[in-house]
Amino acid sequence: MVVFTPSTVVPLAEDESNMNRAQRVHDLGGAFGWGRVPYDPQEEPFHEEWERRVFGMVFQVLPHTAVRPGEFRYALERLAEDDYFAPDGYYGRWRSAMEVLLEEYGHVETGELDGRLGAPSGTSASYRVQSPASVDEKDLPPDSSAPVPEHRTVRRELDRNPGFRIGDRVVATGNTAGGHTRLPDYVRGVSGVVVKIHPAEVLPDSTAHGLGERPQHVVSVAYQARDLWGEGAEEKVVINVDLYENYLQLEAEAQ
Amino acid sequence: MTERHDHTHETNAGSSQIRTAALEDLLVEKGIVDRSRIDSLVERFEHDLGPMIGARLVARAWLESEFQSRLVRDADEVLRQENIRGAEIEHVEVKVNEPGVHNVVVCTLCSCYPWALLGLPPAWYKSPEYRARVVREPRKVLEEMGLSLEPDTEIRVWDSSSETRFLVLPEQPAGSEGLSMEDLAALVTRDSMIGVAKALNP
Repeated sequence: MVVFTPSTVVPLAEDESNMNRAQRVHDLGGAFGWGRVPYDPQEEPFHEEWERRVFGMVFQVLPHTAVRPGEFRYALERLAEDDYFAPDGYYGRWRSAMEVLLEEYGHVETGELDGRLGAPSGTSASYRVQSPASVDEKDLPPDSSAPVPEHRTVRRELDRNPGFRIGDRVVATGNTAGGHTRLPDYVRGVSGVVVKIHPAEVLPDSTAHGLGERPQHVVSVAYQARDLWGEGAEEKVVINVDLYENYLQLEAEAQ
Repeated sequence: MTERHDHTHETNAGSSQIRTAALEDLLVEKGIVDRSRIDSLVERFEHDLGPMIGARLVARAWLESEFQSRLVRDADEVLRQENIRGAEIEHVEVKVNEPGVHNVVVCTLCSCYPWALLGLPPAWYKSPEYRARVVREPRKVLEEMGLSLEPDTEIRVWDSSSETRFLVLPEQPAGSEGLSMEDLAALVTRDSMIGVAKALNP
Protein backbone atom coordinates (compact mmCIF):
# COMPACT_ATOMS: atom_id res chain seq x y z
CA MET A 1 0.00 0.00 0.00
CA VAL A 2 1.17 3.49 -0.74
CA VAL A 3 1.29 5.44 2.49
CA PHE A 4 0.63 9.14 2.39
CA THR A 5 2.89 10.12 5.26
CA PRO A 6 6.29 11.07 3.85
CA SER A 7 9.07 8.80 5.00
CA THR A 8 11.66 8.56 2.28
CA VAL A 9 12.40 12.10 1.25
CA VAL A 10 15.76 12.30 -0.48
CA PRO A 11 17.73 15.23 0.87
CA LEU A 12 19.32 17.64 -1.55
CA ALA A 13 23.07 17.44 -1.26
CA GLU A 14 25.13 20.37 -0.13
CA ASP A 15 26.89 21.95 -3.03
CA GLU A 16 29.88 24.18 -3.45
CA SER A 17 28.31 26.20 -6.28
CA ASN A 18 25.45 28.64 -6.28
CA MET A 19 22.72 26.01 -5.94
CA ASN A 20 22.52 26.76 -2.22
CA ARG A 21 20.33 29.73 -2.94
CA ALA A 22 17.76 27.57 -4.73
CA GLN A 23 15.49 27.62 -1.72
CA ARG A 24 12.35 26.95 -3.73
CA VAL A 25 11.54 23.30 -3.45
CA HIS A 26 10.13 22.86 -6.96
CA ASP A 27 12.97 24.67 -8.74
CA LEU A 28 14.91 21.50 -9.48
CA GLY A 29 16.99 22.24 -12.56
CA GLY A 30 20.58 21.20 -11.87
CA ALA A 31 19.98 20.20 -8.24
CA PHE A 32 22.35 17.60 -6.83
CA GLY A 33 21.29 14.62 -4.77
CA TRP A 34 19.01 12.87 -7.25
CA GLY A 35 19.84 9.47 -8.69
CA ARG A 36 18.75 7.44 -11.67
CA VAL A 37 15.55 8.37 -13.45
CA PRO A 38 12.87 5.75 -12.65
CA TYR A 39 12.50 4.99 -16.34
CA ASP A 40 10.00 2.61 -17.87
CA PRO A 41 9.50 2.97 -21.64
CA GLN A 42 6.11 1.24 -21.42
CA GLU A 43 4.86 3.30 -18.50
CA GLU A 44 1.19 4.30 -18.58
CA PRO A 45 0.06 7.73 -17.31
CA PHE A 46 -1.83 6.29 -14.33
CA HIS A 47 -0.64 3.53 -11.99
CA GLU A 48 -3.53 3.36 -9.54
CA GLU A 49 -7.21 4.13 -9.62
CA TRP A 50 -6.93 6.91 -7.02
CA GLU A 51 -4.62 8.81 -9.38
CA ARG A 52 -7.40 8.87 -11.97
CA ARG A 53 -9.82 10.17 -9.36
CA VAL A 54 -7.44 12.99 -8.38
CA PHE A 55 -6.95 13.93 -12.03
CA GLY A 56 -10.69 14.07 -12.70
CA MET A 57 -11.31 16.07 -9.51
CA VAL A 58 -8.69 18.74 -10.17
CA PHE A 59 -10.44 19.95 -13.31
CA GLN A 60 -13.65 20.41 -11.35
CA VAL A 61 -12.02 22.04 -8.31
CA LEU A 62 -9.93 24.61 -10.18
CA PRO A 63 -12.92 26.61 -11.52
CA HIS A 64 -13.93 27.11 -7.85
CA THR A 65 -10.42 28.00 -6.69
CA ALA A 66 -7.30 28.69 -8.76
CA VAL A 67 -8.68 30.27 -11.92
CA ARG A 68 -5.79 32.64 -12.61
CA PRO A 69 -2.86 31.55 -14.82
CA GLY A 70 -0.08 30.22 -12.60
CA GLU A 71 -2.20 29.97 -9.49
CA PHE A 72 -2.42 26.17 -9.33
CA ARG A 73 1.30 25.86 -10.05
CA TYR A 74 2.00 28.33 -7.26
CA ALA A 75 -0.12 26.26 -4.86
CA LEU A 76 2.07 23.24 -5.71
CA GLU A 77 5.21 25.32 -5.19
CA ARG A 78 4.07 26.48 -1.76
CA LEU A 79 3.78 22.93 -0.42
CA ALA A 80 6.23 21.96 2.29
CA GLU A 81 9.18 19.95 1.02
CA ASP A 82 7.91 16.72 2.61
CA ASP A 83 4.57 17.14 0.86
CA TYR A 84 6.11 18.16 -2.47
CA PHE A 85 8.28 15.04 -2.51
CA ALA A 86 5.76 12.74 -0.83
CA PRO A 87 6.03 9.13 -1.97
CA ASP A 88 2.66 9.16 -3.68
CA GLY A 89 4.22 11.31 -6.36
CA TYR A 90 2.73 13.73 -8.79
CA TYR A 91 -0.93 13.00 -8.19
CA GLY A 92 -0.38 12.98 -4.43
CA ARG A 93 1.09 16.45 -4.85
CA TRP A 94 -1.95 17.49 -6.90
CA ARG A 95 -4.26 16.23 -4.16
CA SER A 96 -2.31 18.15 -1.52
CA ALA A 97 -2.48 21.36 -3.56
CA MET A 98 -6.19 20.77 -4.08
CA GLU A 99 -6.74 20.44 -0.32
CA VAL A 100 -4.79 23.66 0.23
CA LEU A 101 -6.81 25.62 -2.34
CA LEU A 102 -10.15 24.27 -1.11
CA GLU A 103 -9.33 25.53 2.40
CA GLU A 104 -7.90 28.85 1.25
CA TYR A 105 -11.03 29.53 -0.80
CA GLY A 106 -13.29 28.51 2.06
CA HIS A 107 -14.90 25.45 0.49
CA VAL A 108 -13.51 23.05 3.08
CA GLU A 109 -12.77 23.83 6.70
CA THR A 110 -9.36 23.28 8.21
CA GLY A 111 -9.25 19.78 9.58
CA GLU A 112 -12.53 18.77 7.97
CA LEU A 113 -11.06 15.97 5.87
CA ASP A 114 -8.75 14.78 8.65
CA GLY A 115 -11.78 14.66 10.97
CA ARG A 116 -13.73 12.47 8.57
CA LEU A 117 -10.83 10.11 8.22
CA GLY A 118 -10.31 9.85 11.96
CA ALA A 119 -6.79 11.12 11.30
CA PRO A 120 -4.92 13.29 13.74
CA SER A 121 -5.57 16.90 13.00
CA GLY A 122 -2.63 18.15 10.98
CA THR A 123 -2.29 15.34 8.46
CA SER A 124 -3.39 17.65 5.67
CA ALA A 125 -0.67 19.42 3.69
CA SER A 126 -2.52 22.67 4.36
CA TYR A 127 -1.06 22.71 7.89
CA ARG A 128 2.43 23.00 6.45
CA VAL A 129 1.85 25.07 3.33
CA GLN A 130 3.44 28.49 2.91
CA SER A 131 0.99 31.34 2.55
CA PRO A 132 1.14 33.18 -0.76
CA ALA A 133 3.96 35.73 -0.72
CA SER A 134 2.98 39.34 -0.82
CA VAL A 135 4.33 40.66 -4.09
CA ASP A 136 5.05 44.35 -4.46
CA GLU A 137 3.72 45.80 -7.72
CA LYS A 138 6.88 47.92 -7.86
CA ASP A 139 8.78 44.72 -8.64
CA LEU A 140 6.59 43.91 -11.65
CA PRO A 141 6.66 45.52 -15.10
CA PRO A 142 3.95 48.12 -15.83
CA ASP A 143 0.48 46.74 -16.54
CA SER A 144 0.15 47.76 -20.15
CA SER A 145 -3.14 46.53 -21.49
CA ALA A 146 -3.58 44.18 -24.42
CA PRO A 147 -6.83 43.04 -26.01
CA VAL A 148 -8.07 39.81 -24.44
CA PRO A 149 -8.97 37.25 -27.09
CA GLU A 150 -12.39 35.62 -27.07
CA HIS A 151 -11.10 32.11 -26.49
CA ARG A 152 -9.31 31.19 -23.30
CA THR A 153 -5.60 31.61 -23.88
CA VAL A 154 -2.59 33.16 -22.19
CA ARG A 155 -1.34 34.59 -25.47
CA ARG A 156 -1.75 38.30 -26.14
CA GLU A 157 -1.05 40.59 -29.09
CA LEU A 158 1.23 43.43 -28.02
CA ASP A 159 1.53 46.71 -29.89
CA ARG A 160 5.15 47.10 -28.85
CA ASN A 161 8.21 45.34 -30.20
CA PRO A 162 10.23 42.91 -28.11
CA GLY A 163 13.07 44.59 -26.25
CA PHE A 164 15.58 42.03 -27.55
CA ARG A 165 16.78 40.74 -30.88
CA ILE A 166 18.00 37.35 -31.95
CA GLY A 167 21.71 37.15 -31.20
CA ASP A 168 21.62 39.51 -28.19
CA ARG A 169 23.63 38.38 -25.16
CA VAL A 170 21.34 38.57 -22.15
CA VAL A 171 21.35 37.88 -18.42
CA ALA A 172 18.27 36.98 -16.36
CA THR A 173 17.54 38.52 -12.99
CA GLY A 174 14.23 38.78 -11.22
CA ASN A 175 11.86 37.57 -8.57
CA THR A 176 13.69 36.55 -5.42
CA ALA A 177 10.91 37.48 -3.00
CA GLY A 178 9.16 34.11 -2.86
CA GLY A 179 6.36 34.83 -5.28
CA HIS A 180 5.53 32.69 -8.27
CA THR A 181 7.98 32.92 -11.15
CA ARG A 182 8.94 30.98 -14.26
CA LEU A 183 12.59 31.96 -14.01
CA PRO A 184 14.53 28.80 -13.15
CA ASP A 185 17.23 29.58 -10.62
CA TYR A 186 19.97 27.79 -12.54
CA VAL A 187 20.05 30.41 -15.30
CA ARG A 188 19.92 33.41 -12.99
CA GLY A 189 22.91 35.68 -13.58
CA VAL A 190 24.35 33.52 -16.38
CA SER A 191 25.04 34.88 -19.85
CA GLY A 192 22.98 33.40 -22.71
CA VAL A 193 22.06 34.21 -26.31
CA VAL A 194 18.59 35.04 -27.65
CA VAL A 195 17.65 32.43 -30.27
CA LYS A 196 13.96 33.11 -30.82
CA ILE A 197 11.15 35.45 -29.80
CA HIS A 198 7.86 33.68 -29.07
CA PRO A 199 4.38 35.27 -29.00
CA ALA A 200 3.58 37.37 -25.93
CA GLU A 201 1.92 35.78 -22.89
CA VAL A 202 0.43 37.08 -19.67
CA LEU A 203 3.06 37.24 -16.91
CA PRO A 204 2.58 34.40 -14.40
CA ASP A 205 4.59 36.29 -11.74
CA SER A 206 1.71 38.77 -11.75
CA THR A 207 -1.38 36.72 -12.64
CA ALA A 208 -0.69 34.07 -9.98
CA HIS A 209 -0.95 36.84 -7.38
CA GLY A 210 -3.99 38.55 -8.88
CA LEU A 211 -2.00 41.62 -9.93
CA GLY A 212 -3.05 41.85 -13.55
CA GLU A 213 -1.87 40.39 -16.84
CA ARG A 214 1.21 42.53 -17.64
CA PRO A 215 1.83 40.57 -20.86
CA GLN A 216 5.43 40.06 -21.98
CA HIS A 217 7.15 38.78 -25.07
CA VAL A 218 8.69 35.40 -24.38
CA VAL A 219 12.32 35.03 -25.32
CA SER A 220 14.06 31.72 -25.97
CA VAL A 221 17.59 31.93 -24.57
CA ALA A 222 20.35 29.40 -25.29
CA TYR A 223 22.91 28.69 -22.57
CA GLN A 224 26.14 26.78 -23.04
CA ALA A 225 26.43 24.00 -20.45
CA ARG A 226 29.90 25.23 -19.44
CA ASP A 227 28.50 28.68 -18.62
CA LEU A 228 25.85 27.12 -16.38
CA TRP A 229 27.78 24.32 -14.72
CA GLY A 230 31.45 25.24 -15.00
CA GLU A 231 34.50 23.33 -16.18
CA GLY A 232 33.15 19.86 -15.46
CA ALA A 233 30.13 20.34 -17.72
CA GLU A 234 29.38 17.86 -20.50
CA GLU A 235 30.74 18.82 -23.92
CA LYS A 236 28.48 19.95 -26.76
CA VAL A 237 25.40 20.64 -24.66
CA VAL A 238 23.10 23.66 -25.05
CA ILE A 239 20.21 24.33 -22.68
CA ASN A 240 17.37 26.47 -24.03
CA VAL A 241 15.04 28.25 -21.62
CA ASP A 242 11.97 30.39 -22.43
CA LEU A 243 12.00 33.58 -20.39
CA TYR A 244 9.51 36.43 -20.05
CA GLU A 245 11.31 39.49 -21.31
CA ASN A 246 11.00 41.44 -18.07
CA TYR A 247 13.36 38.85 -16.52
CA LEU A 248 16.11 39.83 -18.96
CA GLN A 249 18.72 42.52 -19.37
CA LEU A 250 21.29 42.95 -22.10
CA GLU A 251 24.52 41.58 -20.70
CA ALA A 252 26.31 44.81 -21.61
CA GLU A 253 23.87 46.75 -19.42
CA ALA A 254 23.74 44.36 -16.48
CA GLN A 255 25.24 45.58 -13.16
CA MET B 1 -20.75 4.46 0.17
CA THR B 2 -19.17 2.46 -2.58
CA GLU B 3 -16.99 -0.53 -2.07
CA ARG B 4 -13.69 1.30 -2.20
CA HIS B 5 -14.46 3.05 1.10
CA ASP B 6 -14.87 -0.05 3.20
CA HIS B 7 -11.41 -0.16 4.73
CA THR B 8 -11.38 3.26 6.31
CA HIS B 9 -11.13 1.93 9.83
CA GLU B 10 -8.61 -0.79 9.16
CA THR B 11 -5.85 1.08 7.42
CA ASN B 12 -3.81 4.21 7.70
CA ALA B 13 -6.18 7.14 7.31
CA GLY B 14 -3.45 8.92 5.40
CA SER B 15 -3.18 6.38 2.62
CA SER B 16 -3.49 7.84 -0.85
CA GLN B 17 -6.42 5.74 -1.89
CA ILE B 18 -8.44 6.36 1.27
CA ARG B 19 -7.66 10.04 1.47
CA THR B 20 -8.59 10.54 -2.18
CA ALA B 21 -11.87 8.64 -1.77
CA ALA B 22 -12.77 10.69 1.31
CA LEU B 23 -11.97 13.93 -0.50
CA GLU B 24 -14.13 12.81 -3.42
CA ASP B 25 -17.06 12.05 -1.10
CA LEU B 26 -16.68 15.41 0.62
CA LEU B 27 -16.59 17.35 -2.64
CA VAL B 28 -19.54 15.45 -4.09
CA GLU B 29 -21.55 16.33 -0.96
CA LYS B 30 -20.57 19.97 -1.35
CA GLY B 31 -21.62 19.98 -4.99
CA ILE B 32 -18.13 20.81 -6.25
CA VAL B 33 -17.39 17.46 -7.87
CA ASP B 34 -19.57 15.26 -10.06
CA ARG B 35 -18.42 11.63 -10.07
CA SER B 36 -19.50 10.96 -13.62
CA ARG B 37 -17.47 13.93 -14.82
CA ILE B 38 -14.40 12.43 -13.18
CA ASP B 39 -14.97 9.34 -15.26
CA SER B 40 -15.52 11.26 -18.48
CA LEU B 41 -12.49 13.52 -17.96
CA VAL B 42 -10.26 10.54 -17.27
CA GLU B 43 -11.70 8.66 -20.22
CA ARG B 44 -10.99 11.55 -22.55
CA PHE B 45 -7.44 12.13 -21.41
CA GLU B 46 -6.51 8.49 -21.03
CA HIS B 47 -7.98 7.12 -24.26
CA ASP B 48 -8.80 9.88 -26.76
CA LEU B 49 -5.47 11.64 -26.40
CA GLY B 50 -2.17 9.97 -26.78
CA PRO B 51 1.12 9.74 -28.57
CA MET B 52 -0.60 8.51 -31.74
CA ILE B 53 -1.53 12.12 -32.48
CA GLY B 54 2.09 13.29 -32.36
CA ALA B 55 3.23 10.11 -34.10
CA ARG B 56 1.06 10.80 -37.13
CA LEU B 57 2.56 14.28 -37.45
CA VAL B 58 6.06 12.82 -37.31
CA ALA B 59 5.29 10.10 -39.87
CA ARG B 60 3.84 12.63 -42.28
CA ALA B 61 6.85 14.90 -41.78
CA TRP B 62 9.11 11.96 -42.74
CA LEU B 63 7.08 11.35 -45.89
CA GLU B 64 6.56 14.94 -47.00
CA SER B 65 9.47 17.35 -46.69
CA GLU B 66 7.18 20.28 -47.45
CA PHE B 67 4.98 19.30 -44.47
CA GLN B 68 8.08 19.01 -42.28
CA SER B 69 9.18 22.53 -43.27
CA ARG B 70 5.78 23.94 -42.38
CA LEU B 71 5.71 22.06 -39.08
CA VAL B 72 9.10 23.41 -38.08
CA ARG B 73 8.37 26.94 -39.26
CA ASP B 74 4.93 27.32 -37.65
CA ALA B 75 3.56 24.27 -35.84
CA ASP B 76 0.60 26.28 -34.50
CA GLU B 77 -0.59 26.95 -38.05
CA VAL B 78 -0.27 23.27 -38.98
CA LEU B 79 -2.18 22.17 -35.87
CA ARG B 80 -4.97 24.62 -36.72
CA GLN B 81 -5.16 23.31 -40.27
CA GLU B 82 -5.18 19.71 -39.08
CA ASN B 83 -7.80 20.57 -36.47
CA ILE B 84 -5.61 19.29 -33.63
CA ARG B 85 -6.67 21.12 -30.50
CA GLY B 86 -6.73 20.60 -26.77
CA ALA B 87 -4.95 21.08 -23.52
CA GLU B 88 -1.38 22.31 -23.22
CA ILE B 89 -0.67 23.05 -26.88
CA GLU B 90 -1.32 26.77 -27.09
CA HIS B 91 2.06 27.29 -28.68
CA VAL B 92 4.07 24.37 -30.01
CA GLU B 93 7.57 24.21 -31.40
CA VAL B 94 8.91 21.18 -33.24
CA LYS B 95 12.63 20.44 -32.86
CA VAL B 96 14.23 18.25 -35.50
CA ASN B 97 16.79 15.58 -34.72
CA GLU B 98 19.37 15.09 -37.45
CA PRO B 99 22.84 13.61 -37.70
CA GLY B 100 24.94 15.48 -35.15
CA VAL B 101 21.98 17.14 -33.35
CA HIS B 102 19.75 15.57 -30.70
CA ASN B 103 16.91 17.39 -28.92
CA VAL B 104 15.40 16.48 -25.55
CA VAL B 105 12.54 18.12 -23.62
CA VAL B 106 12.06 18.71 -19.88
CA CYS B 107 10.19 21.00 -17.51
CA THR B 108 12.45 21.68 -14.53
CA LEU B 109 9.91 23.87 -12.67
CA CYS B 110 6.91 21.54 -12.86
CA SER B 111 5.97 18.99 -15.51
CA CYS B 112 4.79 20.90 -18.59
CA TYR B 113 4.13 18.58 -21.51
CA PRO B 114 2.15 18.76 -24.79
CA TRP B 115 -0.86 16.75 -23.57
CA ALA B 116 -2.93 17.06 -26.72
CA LEU B 117 -0.07 15.66 -28.83
CA LEU B 118 1.40 13.01 -26.52
CA GLY B 119 -1.31 12.25 -23.95
CA LEU B 120 -0.59 12.57 -20.25
CA PRO B 121 3.07 12.35 -19.24
CA PRO B 122 4.62 9.22 -17.71
CA ALA B 123 5.78 9.44 -14.09
CA TRP B 124 9.47 9.40 -14.99
CA TYR B 125 9.07 12.66 -16.96
CA LYS B 126 7.63 14.26 -13.81
CA SER B 127 10.25 12.74 -11.48
CA PRO B 128 12.67 14.99 -9.61
CA GLU B 129 15.50 12.81 -10.91
CA TYR B 130 14.74 13.67 -14.54
CA ARG B 131 13.90 17.32 -13.86
CA ALA B 132 17.05 17.93 -11.81
CA ARG B 133 19.56 16.03 -13.88
CA VAL B 134 18.69 16.25 -17.57
CA VAL B 135 19.74 19.90 -17.73
CA ARG B 136 23.04 19.32 -15.89
CA GLU B 137 24.14 16.01 -17.40
CA PRO B 138 21.87 15.11 -20.32
CA ARG B 139 24.37 12.81 -22.02
CA LYS B 140 24.74 10.71 -18.89
CA VAL B 141 21.01 10.67 -18.15
CA LEU B 142 20.15 9.59 -21.70
CA GLU B 143 22.83 6.89 -21.53
CA GLU B 144 21.31 5.58 -18.29
CA MET B 145 17.92 5.54 -20.02
CA GLY B 146 19.32 3.45 -22.84
CA LEU B 147 20.15 6.10 -25.44
CA SER B 148 23.87 6.39 -26.23
CA LEU B 149 24.74 9.36 -28.38
CA GLU B 150 28.01 9.91 -30.22
CA PRO B 151 30.35 12.22 -28.28
CA ASP B 152 30.31 14.73 -31.13
CA THR B 153 26.50 14.87 -31.29
CA GLU B 154 25.28 18.19 -29.92
CA ILE B 155 22.52 17.84 -27.32
CA ARG B 156 19.93 20.60 -27.18
CA VAL B 157 17.82 20.54 -24.04
CA TRP B 158 14.51 22.47 -24.10
CA ASP B 159 13.26 23.53 -20.65
CA SER B 160 9.50 24.20 -20.91
CA SER B 161 9.47 27.29 -18.70
CA SER B 162 6.79 29.29 -20.58
CA GLU B 163 3.56 28.12 -22.23
CA THR B 164 5.51 26.95 -25.28
CA ARG B 165 5.43 23.16 -25.59
CA PHE B 166 8.01 21.17 -27.50
CA LEU B 167 7.74 18.11 -29.74
CA VAL B 168 10.89 16.34 -30.91
CA LEU B 169 10.88 15.09 -34.49
CA PRO B 170 13.04 11.96 -34.28
CA GLU B 171 15.22 10.79 -37.15
CA GLN B 172 13.56 8.37 -39.53
CA PRO B 173 15.04 4.92 -38.87
CA ALA B 174 17.08 3.25 -41.59
CA GLY B 175 15.16 0.65 -43.54
CA SER B 176 11.79 2.34 -43.13
CA GLU B 177 11.78 3.93 -46.58
CA GLY B 178 8.71 3.02 -48.58
CA LEU B 179 6.53 2.23 -45.56
CA SER B 180 3.03 3.69 -45.38
CA MET B 181 2.23 6.58 -43.08
CA GLU B 182 0.43 4.19 -40.75
CA ASP B 183 3.37 1.79 -40.56
CA LEU B 184 5.77 4.68 -40.03
CA ALA B 185 3.62 6.14 -37.23
CA ALA B 186 3.83 2.79 -35.42
CA LEU B 187 7.62 3.30 -35.16
CA VAL B 188 7.24 6.70 -33.45
CA THR B 189 7.13 6.14 -29.70
CA ARG B 190 6.12 8.67 -27.11
CA ASP B 191 9.64 8.70 -25.71
CA SER B 192 11.18 9.39 -29.13
CA MET B 193 9.07 12.56 -29.29
CA ILE B 194 10.27 13.62 -25.80
CA GLY B 195 13.81 12.94 -26.97
CA VAL B 196 14.92 10.19 -24.59
CA ALA B 197 14.79 7.44 -27.24
CA LYS B 198 15.10 6.95 -30.97
CA ALA B 199 12.22 5.86 -33.18
CA LEU B 200 11.86 2.08 -33.39
CA ASN B 201 13.51 0.13 -36.19
CA PRO B 202 11.10 -1.46 -38.66
